[in-house]
Amino acid sequence: MGPTRLDRAVELTLTSGLAASGLLLVIGLLLGRQDLLRWGAILLMLTPVARVVVVTIALLARRDVAFGAISLWILVVLTTSLALSLRF
Amino acid sequence: VTPGPVWLLVTSGAATGLVGSMLGFGGGVFLVPLLTLAMGLPIRTAVAASLLAVIATGSASATVSIKRGLVNLRLGLALEVATSLGGLAGGVTSSLLTSKQLFIAFGATLGMMAVIMAVRSGRRNLIATGEAQPGVLGGRLEEAGVTYVYRLKRLPFALAASLVAGAISGLFGVGGGIVKVPALTTFCGIPIRVAAATSTFMIGVTAAASAFIYFGRGDVNLPLTAAVVVGTLPGSLLGARLSERIQARSLKIILSLVLALVALRMLLEAV
Repeated sequence: MGPTRLDRAVELTLTSGLAASGLLLVIGLLLGRQDLLRWGAILLMLTPVARVVVVTIALLARRDVAFGAISLWILVVLTTSLALSLRF
Repeated sequence: VTPGPVWLLVTSGAATGLVGSMLGFGGGVFLVPLLTLAMGLPIRTAVAASLLAVIATGSASATVSIKRGLVNLRLGLALEVATSLGGLAGGVTSSLLTSKQLFIAFGATLGMMAVIMAVRSGRRNLIATGEAQPGVLGGRLEEAGVTYVYRLKRLPFALAASLVAGAISGLFGVGGGIVKVPALTTFCGIPIRVAAATSTFMIGVTAAASAFIYFGRGDVNLPLTAAVVVGTLPGSLLGARLSERIQARSLKIILSLVLALVALRMLLEAV
């Protein structure tokens, strides 16, 4: 995957995540629906995670081992945080 | 949340997103005091709402800046390692220093950066066009149809600044961009637009790591946070677009003013 395709993939991931969470948050606010607000917030928090997944896969697929490994490490930090949050 | 405060929250989110995406930080330095001091919210609720607003700012402005080739992904990844280690260091440091000492150290550092930035605002970090090689962590930037090259200078300093940024982020609940962007621009040869775009690209990830914990603990007030984020999204998109129309020198002067204001606030907290 070349840099331009990676850029487009990242942009698509971020735009989809933001559009979906933004929509849920607006509708949730207008209708006073806590469940929609909750899912909107969860989707928003997962958007950067999805972006890191996309970048990690793209870098490893390009055999960019050093930066792929750094990206993977960031993903591990995020996953640890997510796992910790589920314990509360 | 009643309709009146909803509009105040949406407007605050929009202003935070606008300034944050233009200058490369999340805007927690404005949002947290606004929510705590002006609206009387508990600090944890304010920090949780701020973290989600930072995610929105980072992600929304990245959709604009990545298309324009402003995000330096490799640089962002390299610095993120130091930032996350700084988060851990912040936890350790916080137990060694009093809050007064922390506020003085943070305020004095930002104040110095504000002065240095203002003095050096006329200097450009771009190498003339041609066959210059940007190096592993440098890059190319297109301005007015001309492609320029920039190189990262003083990598150890950039890593140290990112480490401090991570520590400050953990200690004060603000985005680390407020340290990273001035350091990269003033001392490390990175153009302000690239430093801001790369910073916003990474702060979404840094904020997400903490946001999950706050969410899991039940600190996220959903209607309040939703109102802030609903304002942040369009504000960030507008800020990212506006930053391209503002001259690099003007951006640096705006950033040094913001730094001076935040430094003043930190020093006043210590008194």
